[in-house]
Amino acid sequence: MRIARPAPRTAPETVIALIDVVFFLLVFFMLIGRMDATAPFDVTPPESLTGADMPGGGATLAVAADGALALDGAPVDAGAAAERLLARLADQPDLLVRINAHRDAQLRHVLPLIATLEGQGAREVVLVVTPPDAGK
Amino acid sequence: MAEMLSLTRPRPSRAPVSLVPMIDVLLIMLVFFMVTSTYLDLDMIPAVDSAEGAAPGPAAAADGTVLIRLGADGRPAIQGRSLLHGELAAHLAARPDAQVIVLPTGAATMQALVSVMDTVTGAGVTRMRVVRLEARP
Repeated sequence: MRIARPAPRTAPETVIALIDVVFFLLVFFMLIGRMDATAPFDVTPPESLTGADMPGGGATLAVAADGALALDGAPVDAGAAAERLLARLADQPDLLVRINAHRDAQLRHVLPLIATLEGQGAREVVLVVTPPDAGK
Repeated sequence: MAEMLSLTRPRPSRAPVSLVPMIDVLLIMLVFFMVTSTYLDLDMIPAVDSAEGAAPGPAAAADGTVLIRLGADGRPAIQGRSLLHGELAAHLAARPDAQVIVLPTGAATMQALVSVMDTVTGAGVTRMRVVRLEARP
């Protein structure tokens, strides 16, 4: 008479290994990505050979190819964006303001904002660019 | 008697903590960071002259002032003459101390402006300013 042997229990170590891998991937993506240039629309910065490394922190104003704006990832209109940035500049005069504009965005959507910021005393306004052939 | 009973009672075995919710949370965080981050190599170029000490007004420009207009087609022009970027670089390299003013039309793209700023900076010019026309109310 043959008695069915119970199936051997799977070792719990396989789950630990899975968690290890997921944790590793999580830390990897947190390290190589940067979250200070996000926008709810597609933004491909212009290419430039003379860009300098961009530090973190500050405020990011994203401009889409059609002129839509987003401040720190939240869609805004031009008036509200300027108002909020000026309020932050009043608290923090050396605030770094990044203009992350799409390379096909027309300058009439971008330059008035920079002029407003500069007129209100912003000292650190930078354009976000990317080196040629980045990401290829 | 009661004490002896309590001493011999076996400790209730703890229910094993399930690792599945933890894996769920980790996976959600992983997907969140993968989706919200940008992985482009991002650099910056200054858009505002942060050196307040350098008076932008009629300060002595040894080589004069060069006005570069930027048309809607992205071509820079000096004194009405449309130039290629190589010609612009050659023109500017001869007068590196000039004050360069870039006047782009509002219909030009960001890439056109950044390319001109690249060329100007690459030609050794240190004093550059981007201006725009504004309708007087």
